[in-house]
Amino acid sequence: MTAWLLRRLGAALAIVFAVVSFSFVAIHLAPGTPFLPEQGRPINPAAVARLRDEFGLGRPLPEQYVRYLGALARGHLGESFSQRRPVAEAIATALPNTAVLAGAALLIDFLLGIAIGVFQAARARRSSDVALTNATLFLYSLPIFWLGLVLLLVFGQWLHWFPVGGVTDPVLYPNLPLWGKVLDRLRHLALPALTMGLVGAAGTARFQRAALLEALGQDYVRTARAKGLRESAVLVRHALRDALLPVITLLGLALPFLLTGAVLVEAVFAWPGLGKLAADAIAARDYPLVLATTLLASVAVVMGSLLADLFAVLADPRVRMVT
Amino acid sequence: MTVASWLGLLATLLWTAVAVAWSRRAARGPHGEAWRRFFRHPTATAGIAVLVFFATVAVCAPLLAPYRPSQQLDIVALQNRPPSWLHPLGTDLYSRDVWSRLLYGAQVSLGIGTLGMAVAVMLGGLVGTVAGYFRGWTDAVLMRLVDVGLSVPRIFLVLLAIALWDRLGTGPLILLLGFTGWFATSRLVRAEVLSLRERPFTDAARTAGARPWRIIIRHVLPNAAAPLIVSAALGIGHMMLLEAGLSFLGVGVQPPMPSWGNMIADGRDQLTTALWTSLFPGLAIAITVMALNAIGDAARDALDPRADYLFEP
Amino acid sequence: MESLGMIHLPRTPAVLALALLTAAACSRRGSCRDEYCGSLVIAATRSATTLLPPLSEAAVERDIFDQIFLRLADFTVGGSTIGDSGFVPQLARSWEWNDPLTLTFHLDPRAHWQDGPPVTAADVQFTFESYTDTAVAAGDLTALAHIASVTATDSLTAVFKFRHSYPEAFFDATFHLRILPAHLLRDVPRGEWRTAAFGRAPIGDGPYRFLRWTPGESVELTADSTFYLGRPHLQRLIWRFASDVNVAITQLVAGEADAIEVLVGPANIGRAQAAAHLKLYPYPGVTYTFLRFNLRANGDSLRPNPLFADAAVRRALVMATDRERMLQSATAGHAKVPPGPMPQQWSWLWVPELAPPPYDTTQAAGLLTARGWRDSNRDGIRDRAGRRLSFHVAVPTSPLRRQYARLLQEQLRAVGVELVIDEMDDPAMAERLSAGTFDAALESWQTDPTPTSGVPQIWSKGGGANYGGYANPAFDRAVATAANAQTLSAARAAWVAAFTTLAQDAPAIMLYALDNVAAVDSRVTDVQLRPDSWMALVRNWRIPPDRLNERDRVGH
Repeated sequence: MTAWLLRRLGAALAIVFAVVSFSFVAIHLAPGTPFLPEQGRPINPAAVARLRDEFGLGRPLPEQYVRYLGALARGHLGESFSQRRPVAEAIATALPNTAVLAGAALLIDFLLGIAIGVFQAARARRSSDVALTNATLFLYSLPIFWLGLVLLLVFGQWLHWFPVGGVTDPVLYPNLPLWGKVLDRLRHLALPALTMGLVGAAGTARFQRAALLEALGQDYVRTARAKGLRESAVLVRHALRDALLPVITLLGLALPFLLTGAVLVEAVFAWPGLGKLAADAIAARDYPLVLATTLLASVAVVMGSLLADLFAVLADPRVRMVT
Repeated sequence: MTVASWLGLLATLLWTAVAVAWSRRAARGPHGEAWRRFFRHPTATAGIAVLVFFATVAVCAPLLAPYRPSQQLDIVALQNRPPSWLHPLGTDLYSRDVWSRLLYGAQVSLGIGTLGMAVAVMLGGLVGTVAGYFRGWTDAVLMRLVDVGLSVPRIFLVLLAIALWDRLGTGPLILLLGFTGWFATSRLVRAEVLSLRERPFTDAARTAGARPWRIIIRHVLPNAAAPLIVSAALGIGHMMLLEAGLSFLGVGVQPPMPSWGNMIADGRDQLTTALWTSLFPGLAIAITVMALNAIGDAARDALDPRADYLFEP
Repeated sequence: MESLGMIHLPRTPAVLALALLTAAACSRRGSCRDEYCGSLVIAATRSATTLLPPLSEAAVERDIFDQIFLRLADFTVGGSTIGDSGFVPQLARSWEWNDPLTLTFHLDPRAHWQDGPPVTAADVQFTFESYTDTAVAAGDLTALAHIASVTATDSLTAVFKFRHSYPEAFFDATFHLRILPAHLLRDVPRGEWRTAAFGRAPIGDGPYRFLRWTPGESVELTADSTFYLGRPHLQRLIWRFASDVNVAITQLVAGEADAIEVLVGPANIGRAQAAAHLKLYPYPGVTYTFLRFNLRANGDSLRPNPLFADAAVRRALVMATDRERMLQSATAGHAKVPPGPMPQQWSWLWVPELAPPPYDTTQAAGLLTARGWRDSNRDGIRDRAGRRLSFHVAVPTSPLRRQYARLLQEQLRAVGVELVIDEMDDPAMAERLSAGTFDAALESWQTDPTPTSGVPQIWSKGGGANYGGYANPAFDRAVATAANAQTLSAARAAWVAAFTTLAQDAPAIMLYALDNVAAVDSRVTDVQLRPDSWMALVRNWRIPPDRLNERDRVGH
């Protein structure tokens, strides 16, 4: 077990290293320089040159690469060019926002997804099942940002149920009591989390339904049925227990999906998270910030899949440990 | 819209019905077992119908569209007009006919999805086959590469790669989508090849002295085709969604070429004032991707009922 | 198992949440009911990164620090930049010219820093030295190059020495400098100002104090009740950062923000007009936008451009574009077609002698044909000696310019010219412009209240931003004359001559000069906007006590 874990961790480290290297080369080769003023303002070439020099951008790329890796090894992420503060600080403000959004989306994704999947499996091939199959298929096929725009339009702009963007209300928030602050955050969270959660839930429901139907066909389920257990009891106590495992392992694999969604959904809802940070950093040629965000994303994805595997191993000793 | 283009639409619908009926009849033929399983899927017929319709529309766009897709009819008087008999889906910010753009957009969106997936499937098939057949260090290196590819959220990868060029033509965009989309396919194919190379018929060919590539092409690949086909059907949808996302972020297909993605992006500013400019392309993507997913599901049941497919988002 | 139906969950949790939230707000209702209440939320489309004036360059940063830091003298609405008649005292109570090269300011003894000490002439000297210190790596400094030195002769007297005498010396001395607190910044190494903590929690001498900054979300200022030029009426100013204009306007229409600097495009203006609680305020814009032709070959500054070296082709392309109609379509008339490189804020330059070249496709086609550009292969695009009349135009991320690119493309198509749109992000565009690797580019420039600094930079031979390589000695001479004109009418005559030359040479298609339209919640009164800094006068804006809403009273 320990050897397996060590091997997996080693592989994870190698993967993250490769991702960082690719990103380093790509962003440094991209045309355009950092430190430019807002478009339409005159550039002070001396100032730009001075800053490029200060950050060593004039040196040969391999040298910059080695320097960057050296700093990284010592735990330095560098200073963000465009935000004018340490990268670690920029990440520290954005990460919680994305974590909250992704967490809420995951919650919706799995609670709703599993519930729908169970409900469908219980009514397999009846009209409500068919209707839900079509509904989840439709949701699963939507461009996520488009769903976000539509939800924003309907629930934000037409019905005024939810705020139309941001994380908190800047006027009220600082003066609210604690529970008011929590509520304010929840109201702002609702639409973006729902956007990501619904699309995810559609996928989870499809998967859960299939897994349950397969489990329902197994011998032990037939036995339970033969013993005269009610159908709902069979479904919940026997089949679901088995069919949940593959769904739970999906959890770790949901991360890349969530991060991709975050880039688009954060743009729709002005949500100051990692996705927006990364997209802005690329557009500003903010090299250290680009590298830090891709680094973080790949660490998250690698750890997610590692945890999913670990969970599968712990939950079911029959699963072989393969690297 | 003129009478001719309404008639053209009618003809397309008729042809769609005929094509669907014809393919359902094939299911009753002597080799129809797989087709029968395919059409047993509740949404397969609808999926085929939608796909035939949009594929026809894409191919015949120049015949069906009443206007050039970039034609600005009257930039002041015909801006953002709601749907009418003349413009069944309205006009957009540039006074272009949304219906015509939707038809040409089918060409671009389906084309990018299909070609991008073709690149991805070929690359994934190749890598997966090589890794699975030769095993050893080849396998180790290739699969670590796949691990790397799968561990960056794809949109990060694509955005980074796009920043490398200050302008990206449609061809490079397709290649880029393909090059970032083959990782999961190669894993799938590798697993299939790993099991196939131990089968008696490959063993027989090997002992008969056949060269590895010959074995791969003659014996392994044809048997690994089923998961490839299914993953392609499901993957086209993903490609289309990704292209739409990129267009939304302003880095997709360059204007004036219409893609459903950049139509949504163009219409975003008018969401409250001219909903139709982004609603219809959004629905077109949703319906097409839904059809592709339905077909993928049905194809899986028909060809390979026991397989699980996981896709990178 | 009991059914869940026993529990009656509310149908709309959101409504419940809203009710609770309102209750929460009410429970902390402030007592503020007089003249000095109110919260103004400004929807900004970019976020700020630092609020240390020489380093802050984004428009939103300038908007914010203009409330925290004062100038020696303030510019007035519509004032002239020649001499000092267009200025009113701010930090300086008075000033005088000792000789043509020496300008003395007397500081207002009431002025003080928000942490206590008075503002002194030493602060002024320190400010000038730090603005011009290369270690600070500030933005464009060309305007300050005319000033030789600034010295403090006593605690309230600062003396400016100029290198030479020129009409806009007073403007340069006052407009570009925000006086900084030497006692707080002296010990911060200049090379570290970029990331100085002060830039994230500035202490100034202006009408508002810095209160808090939530990175990526908002910046909040609070009124300084002891401000010596009069207490601001609005208690809180909150800049709320949205990622783009869309989100910002959506927040405005939904009542989650109260003001926006500029509504771009008819759709946005329409949305704001439809919202009963918003009032629109048009004011002259400071930008102008044009399609620049590269007169030199793409990527080779020594060879002429095969298409655009020919002035007749350039003139033909200008005449082939219906600028008036594009403007109607893209801005609903909230802009003007500029006859030269001029924004609306130079209102004294919008004279009948200057008129945009006519829209005349017949003449444009005739000109092209006369120069040998004919459609010999009938593909719809003109060609000459095997070369198609086709060019790429670099377009940055600005939505309005992307819209114009598509409009131009169709218009030029009608006269047999192919325009290929290359949309790219802003750093890539900047690189292409400075490297000269472009055929044509859609550029937009923000201007100062005077043409003297910007126009030569962009259009004169050797100008730092003259990316197309346009050069005409007659134009340069006229610009020099204008810069040295002692009166406004003399300056106007010289500029008219310069812009007439420019129009004949047509190094660009002048497309639009925006007429900005701001939107402010209608409960706010006494709103006055200034083109050079739209919110500069916000300390005079107010909300009458009877119009204060719950949000205005929160936090007092």
